[in-house]
Amino acid sequence: MSLLDALPTPQVSWRQWRPNRVLLVLFSAMLAAIWLLDVVSVSPNRIVSGEEAGLIEAIGWVGALLVSGVMLTLLALSLQPSHQGYQVALVGVSLLLLLLPFGLMVASHRLISSDTPQARLNMGMAYWLMLSLLLLCWIELRLRLTLSRRRSTLMLLGVLLVWGVCAILGLDSLALGQELRARDDEFWRALRQHVTLVSASVAISIGLGLTLAMLMRRYAKCQKIAFGVLNFLQTIPSIALFGLMLGPLAWLAAQWPLLSQLGVSGIGWAPALLALVAYSLLPMVRNTYIALEQVSPETLEAARGMGMRNSQRFFQVRLPLALPVLLEGIRITTVQAIGLTAVAALIGAGGLGAFIFQGLGQAAMDMVLLGALPILMLALIADAGLGALADILRPNATAQSGDSQ
Amino acid sequence: MIELAHVTKRFGDVAAVDDISLRIAKGKFCALVGTSGCGKSTTLRMINRLIAHSDGDIILDGQPIDAYDPVKLRRRIGYVIQHTGLFPHWTVARNIGLVPRLLKWSAADVQAKVEELMKLLGLPVDEFAAKYPHQLSGGQAQRVGVARALAADPDILLMDEPFGALDPITREKLQDELSRLQARMHKTVVFVTHDMDEALRLADHLVVMREGRIVQQGSPLALLQQPNDPFVESLLGGLERGLKQAALTRIKDHMSPMGPTLPAQSRIPAAFSLRQGLSMMLRDHTDRLTVVDQHDVPVGELTLRKIVKEAQPEQGKVRES
Repeated sequence: MSLLDALPTPQVSWRQWRPNRVLLVLFSAMLAAIWLLDVVSVSPNRIVSGEEAGLIEAIGWVGALLVSGVMLTLLALSLQPSHQGYQVALVGVSLLLLLLPFGLMVASHRLISSDTPQARLNMGMAYWLMLSLLLLCWIELRLRLTLSRRRSTLMLLGVLLVWGVCAILGLDSLALGQELRARDDEFWRALRQHVTLVSASVAISIGLGLTLAMLMRRYAKCQKIAFGVLNFLQTIPSIALFGLMLGPLAWLAAQWPLLSQLGVSGIGWAPALLALVAYSLLPMVRNTYIALEQVSPETLEAARGMGMRNSQRFFQVRLPLALPVLLEGIRITTVQAIGLTAVAALIGAGGLGAFIFQGLGQAAMDMVLLGALPILMLALIADAGLGALADILRPNATAQSGDSQ
Repeated sequence: MIELAHVTKRFGDVAAVDDISLRIAKGKFCALVGTSGCGKSTTLRMINRLIAHSDGDIILDGQPIDAYDPVKLRRRIGYVIQHTGLFPHWTVARNIGLVPRLLKWSAADVQAKVEELMKLLGLPVDEFAAKYPHQLSGGQAQRVGVARALAADPDILLMDEPFGALDPITREKLQDELSRLQARMHKTVVFVTHDMDEALRLADHLVVMREGRIVQQGSPLALLQQPNDPFVESLLGGLERGLKQAALTRIKDHMSPMGPTLPAQSRIPAAFSLRQGLSMMLRDHTDRLTVVDQHDVPVGELTLRKIVKEAQPEQGKVRES
């Protein structure tokens, strides 16, 4: 040990500033948005455009100071972040997310008098901005804290649950809620159609995808052609593909009465299902193929050396080991199909997309949201759920460091 | 008994294994040694029909292997490979019980066998049965690999560089355990390695291969005393050969009765190898050691003069060292 080591290290008098720029920008933008832009707007009925209201009008001085206080704290935390700081920030961001529907409840209480039941509360620019900025913050924090997918899914589900309870309990005057109440039956039927179409197309493409991927593994020549065709299918714009199905299916239905009795026709669910399957095949086949191929050849060779038959090797070794990657494929396909099914409404297949196109036609944004928001939710839930499932099935999910000998 | 008669394996025009003949008696430990790409692994994998041979006959217990159903054949031959090939999605216990389950043993029998083997290989059941392969160290994983190969009581064990990926200390430990197991179970073992020391330690019968052909085969001592080829000699360690031979010779076979002089200060157990004796002489600057039995009672002495003078006929091999 030299003499220098023995001396006390001189204290640096000023601290090095290493702010988290991402969070800094996001929180500043949030603060600016809630003070400068309209938070909510109130319209007397569905057609008339609303009267905008700022932060203080909407939730009063106390609420405004509370929200700004939380945001300023978060801003300060992101100036000199630490692990604990990030954890506190995560709590703060989750708190703000949870407070969003309460803000609306307060606003509806303050701005809408009970003698105008037709009046609607619309979420304003600042509200939407805050929602998206908060979600971005949440993603940043999740990465910094390296939260597992399962835990973050659970947290998001918790937030969604609180929103749902708030929506049921105290948001009668919210435009979206009124829109939903006006077409209650229609909404649930559309949701059912949407989910049925998506599950049917995903189920069919899982079956077809597995078959195709296995054929490709057996016949190497098949592989290039099949991927070529599937890639080509993927490049056709979705509306065009839906349109292309009209002619052949109408003809088929005319040729075979049995088909038309089953409900097959140029428009409706049949062409939508076909097009959805066509789009789902590429991600499905590609992932299935990769999933089956990435299984370590040594493991498979060992299985053969132990005396497993080909079928035993496939079902007990190759398939289980491919499952996590395969599920990723199903996840991508499902999320994509949930979005594409919205377009299928154009050819009369129903689903939540119908609200979007009707709303666009009538310039009723609430109705568009009534279609769009559930689609978004469905996609998020499918994404998180299937992702978490894949994580659980990965054999290393429960990995602890191996003991060393 | 395994017999290979004029066996050839061609990949396209290239002969990976070229006309080899080999006979491995029941209960013997045969090591195939050579540099990488010499065809030793291919030879091994032809025995359990993972690779089909192109020419010649491979005979197992009097029948050519083509007469067996390949799947049934493999189930009665234990197989251990370098990177263990354990199934990552199965627990240790399930991995070990694989072949018995394939053979439709009852669940109770499988479990009893798994526990017996885990104890035999020094893997405490409570600690390891429920672990997954990625939670094991390299040495532990290969113990599981060996246990899996032994699970259905096969007469024959094929081992393809089983300890090649382990650190030297773990490797040596597992080699010792393997020779202990072999002394007890008398399996017919075919062991592929590129590590000559490992082969010398373990094998009854040594087969040196080069470019798909057998260059020389025989007992380890026979090869050490008379390598018939510069390649074999260099594999055996060139100048180190003397010491390697000493490593295979026990002190017991070279000691003389206690003389009239005072016993030497340095003591060595009789079961140790001559190589260890020589090493001790170098360390202690002496040419005389007192040989003791397992109770540390002097039984004779070992002198440098006697070792050097004695031309060594084939001696008993060292099994434990």
